Amino acid sequence: MFPIVLLSVFAVVLLFLGFLKSRSVLLPATLLFLVAALVANFLDWNKTYLYFNSMLRTDNLSMVFTAIVLLSSFLVVALSGSFEDDEAAQPAEYYAIILFSLVGAIMMIGYENLVMLFVGVEILSVAMYILTGSDKRNLRSNEAALKYFLMGAFATGIMLFGMALLYGASGSFTLAGIASYASHAQQGLSLIFYVGLLMLLVGLLFKVSAAPFHFWTPDVYDGAPTIFTAYMSTVVKTAGFAALLHLLAASFTYVYSFWGIILAVVTAITLIAGNVTAVYQNSFKRMMAYSSISHAGYLLIGLAALSAQSRQAIVFYSLAYSIATISAFGVLMLVTRQRGMQTLSSNPLSNESFDAFNGLAKQNPLLGLAMATSMLSLAGIPLTAGFWGKFYMFSTAVERGQIWLLVVAVLMSAVGIYYYFRVIIAMYFRDGATEPIRISPVFRYVLVAAIILTIGLGVAPGLLQGLF
Amino acid sequence: MQIGLLCALIPLLPLLGFVINGVGFRRVPTGLVGGIATLAVLASFLIVVSLFMSFPAEGGPQIVPLFDWISVGDLHIPFSFQIDQLSLLMLLVVTGVGTLIHLYSIGYMHHDEGFGKFMAFLNLFIFFMLLLVMGANYVIMFIGWEGVGLCSYLLIGFWNKNVSYNNAARKAFVMNRIGDLGFLLGIFTIINTFGTVEYVDVFKQATSLPMGDTTVLVIALLLFVGAMGKSAQVPLYTWLPDAMAGPTPVSALIHAATMVTAGIYMVVRSNVLYTLAPQALEVVGIIAIITALLAASIGLLQNDIKKVLAYSTVSQLGYMFLGLSATAYTAGMFHVITHAFFKALLFLGAGSVIHAMSNEQDIRKMGGLRKALPVTFITFAIGTWAISGLPPFAGFFSKDEILAHVFEHSKVLWALGVLGSGLTSFYMFRLLFLTFFGEFRGTAEQKHHLHESPATMTIPLIILAILSAVGGALNLPGGGWLSHFLEPIFEGSRQVNPEAFAESTIEHSTEYVLMAVSAGVALLALIAAYVMYISRKAVPASDEADRSMPEQVIYNKYYVDELYEAAIVRPIRSMGDTFYSFGEFAVDGLVNGVAWLVKQSSAQLRRLQSGSIGFYVFAMVLSIVLIFALRFFIRF
Repeated sequence: MFPIVLLSVFAVVLLFLGFLKSRSVLLPATLLFLVAALVANFLDWNKTYLYFNSMLRTDNLSMVFTAIVLLSSFLVVALSGSFEDDEAAQPAEYYAIILFSLVGAIMMIGYENLVMLFVGVEILSVAMYILTGSDKRNLRSNEAALKYFLMGAFATGIMLFGMALLYGASGSFTLAGIASYASHAQQGLSLIFYVGLLMLLVGLLFKVSAAPFHFWTPDVYDGAPTIFTAYMSTVVKTAGFAALLHLLAASFTYVYSFWGIILAVVTAITLIAGNVTAVYQNSFKRMMAYSSISHAGYLLIGLAALSAQSRQAIVFYSLAYSIATISAFGVLMLVTRQRGMQTLSSNPLSNESFDAFNGLAKQNPLLGLAMATSMLSLAGIPLTAGFWGKFYMFSTAVERGQIWLLVVAVLMSAVGIYYYFRVIIAMYFRDGATEPIRISPVFRYVLVAAIILTIGLGVAPGLLQGLF
Repeated sequence: MQIGLLCALIPLLPLLGFVINGVGFRRVPTGLVGGIATLAVLASFLIVVSLFMSFPAEGGPQIVPLFDWISVGDLHIPFSFQIDQLSLLMLLVVTGVGTLIHLYSIGYMHHDEGFGKFMAFLNLFIFFMLLLVMGANYVIMFIGWEGVGLCSYLLIGFWNKNVSYNNAARKAFVMNRIGDLGFLLGIFTIINTFGTVEYVDVFKQATSLPMGDTTVLVIALLLFVGAMGKSAQVPLYTWLPDAMAGPTPVSALIHAATMVTAGIYMVVRSNVLYTLAPQALEVVGIIAIITALLAASIGLLQNDIKKVLAYSTVSQLGYMFLGLSATAYTAGMFHVITHAFFKALLFLGAGSVIHAMSNEQDIRKMGGLRKALPVTFITFAIGTWAISGLPPFAGFFSKDEILAHVFEHSKVLWALGVLGSGLTSFYMFRLLFLTFFGEFRGTAEQKHHLHESPATMTIPLIILAILSAVGGALNLPGGGWLSHFLEPIFEGSRQVNPEAFAESTIEHSTEYVLMAVSAGVALLALIAAYVMYISRKAVPASDEADRSMPEQVIYNKYYVDELYEAAIVRPIRSMGDTFYSFGEFAVDGLVNGVAWLVKQSSAQLRRLQSGSIGFYVFAMVLSIVLIFALRFFIRF
């Protein structure tokens, strides 16, 4: 609750700060605001509250998810470096939009009423459409924004239709009301209810880029400025999964037999589509887009199984995935900028390709280490956080007895190793013309923090589990 | 201060030392390196002493939880330390002897170009050893167990420009790995049986099991396989003599005083399980006596000053296990402590000799060193006296206590034990006489260079000599301090098998006779050595000299290394070659085939990503239709 209020106010303040001549105050101010929101978030720790006539709720789970999105945004904003390279950029607006979008994300995490879910999704999505197209003079960025908007509008329509049908069947927008209607599943429920549930699910699955609703993802992630790709692939995904988890766990456990199998099939398709397609990519950024689809698949395992372990599995996985992804995109931004200055070519295809990383680790050991740690974590190699994330996910599937899904997931993780290790091989075993890259202190802190968090959680996963 | 913080500091300080010296290798000034490393361990020692002082006399174990570490299903493994009588004793030995050896290393190693690296590794070793000893469950012990193995590997091969040293390091690593597999399987069996790895819970559950339970027997044997590797018992002992390739302080710290006794610590820690499985104890006893005699007999004819000490270590470890096999856990621990004192002393003394002799280790080229190295000579003599089991020094009391318990258990084992003790006395005095008495047999240049070692090296020698001399007072015969102190540790064992812990049935007169016999045998061996090497001035023959058949066999260490090479290493290697030539074709074909398949499907799937929104929307609608069809029209 507190973060929503604080972030809304801060975002407005940021817009006014944009009138100042100096841009340099914006980045520290935004970071400060995020830290304030993070602290305020934990004020209600160990208490459960309902706000605004049971529209929103805060409990420990929602606070942990909120903390993850705030931490991710903090890291992303820290890596943005005030957009000092880009004269045409408008950092005040960007930061304000990020803060506004966080409000939407937190509403998606803590909603108790489908209306709040819809409002949250829209706040977040509209903000994302703008950020995707923020590189106004770049055709790719424009194209991506338009695509995202069209597809997103389509998905929103379906989702809203689903909510309407659910209301029609159960007579309620609240999760508790829908749950009490669904609890009579034995006596038979109206067909409209099931149709509504499916359409709502499709809408949300689109937002987390699960296959076969994932087609927008590679184009949008590839076209958006890298910093916003990092934001989208972490914050939006975490918020989307928190929303799905809350929805399914609070309202639809009674009809698990209806949607469980659908989610399991969607999970399998997502895993295969994401991992297999990533193999053929030559652009690192595009590979990361497919990788984010595949991780949506791993996260879906926990939803498709929906067992007692699912909550902590999804929390742990989102955190591990967010940290690794942000640090990978951070390194990519540095490498791309360096290549752009070196070769004076703005051809993004060569600057963002795997070849751009050749020999990186020799001249830039920190960047090499940060990237290698992220890749190992994303691939799920032991002693990184990603390993335990996958482990918890897989154990939820075992608990539910979905062995076939587990087999698919394990095989696809093996495929994943192929493309994640391509970067490591390029950095450590190939020769390239990379020169030492100047790293600003903020960047250095973020990367070091990401390495420590990833390995720390990999060595002692219990640290986080003890939290809630 | 909080006990939790104190306990965490004990291993963290050496780790900090490792980080400073390791990260700052080549940057930290050489003068500071030794000081930082030694102070880190000394500080840990002082904390341990304060914990020891404040520990209630008959208190139960104090568990210090640090954080939840791994939770998987029903299995919870916290990261916690256990402070009780046993861990406190081991902590005192590890940090105390460790501090002395760190101090000694400053004098011994400071000329070496890798001095910083060396001290960093020593600190890291202490860190892992402390984890091993302090951990409150088998998993933390295992981490420490693997960690000390790693450090041992790094330090044996410390001078890594020498190929044979690297081979020795690798041999130690591989042999330990065989033992570790047993240990690991033991832990898995424990998890499977008890559902926990916490000592307190495991032993509490175990006390309700019947004597001779098969699962417990399996666990005990598997754990002992681990102990065989780490504590160099037959058949996994051959790595320890080779491990002498490492710098001498390493031999003293890791391969004599601390790491190799980890196996004994583990068995004593798990004493409830072993008491429940008498058959396992029988196995331990047989292996122990074979090890003790075999190693002692090899020691008789070795000519490398460190090799003699290495075989003596193997043999003494055998004695410790022998004591454990007679459920004389206290006696075993007592010998661990006294052995840590006198064996560290002997190794450090040997290091001082090697230092003075410009890296010469062959005792045939020494002799008469007592005039040039008076401090080393006196302390070495005290160590020899102690290890030989002659009164009144430490070794006499601990070895006698073991032998007295073994006598109660089995007369045959006792007789063999006394024989081994005689052998020990003989080869140790042979070493002493050949090194320090008679005429100098080295080159003139070496003779010119002879000198006593600096104070950083002699002070540890003197302290250890005092400890070796009076260490026996810890547990005087007839209910000493140590057996009283350790009593709470064996509460569980006493519960499951009261007979084994009943008051000794031997009368005092018998006990004195036993003492007299073993001391007498040792004394006889001393006289024999005196006659051979001082009166007759015999010097061992050179390597090429003709030897009689049995002598030849012993001189070549019973050809055990050659046997392993022929029976295990070569078959495995040829199997590897076979698999390689076959597997290269089959496995690579399979792997590449799968990779090709994935890549092809990737190329096809990629085409779906056409970039056209029309197609994307169409795919979405089609998917929704399919899902609806799946759910509403095709019922299953």
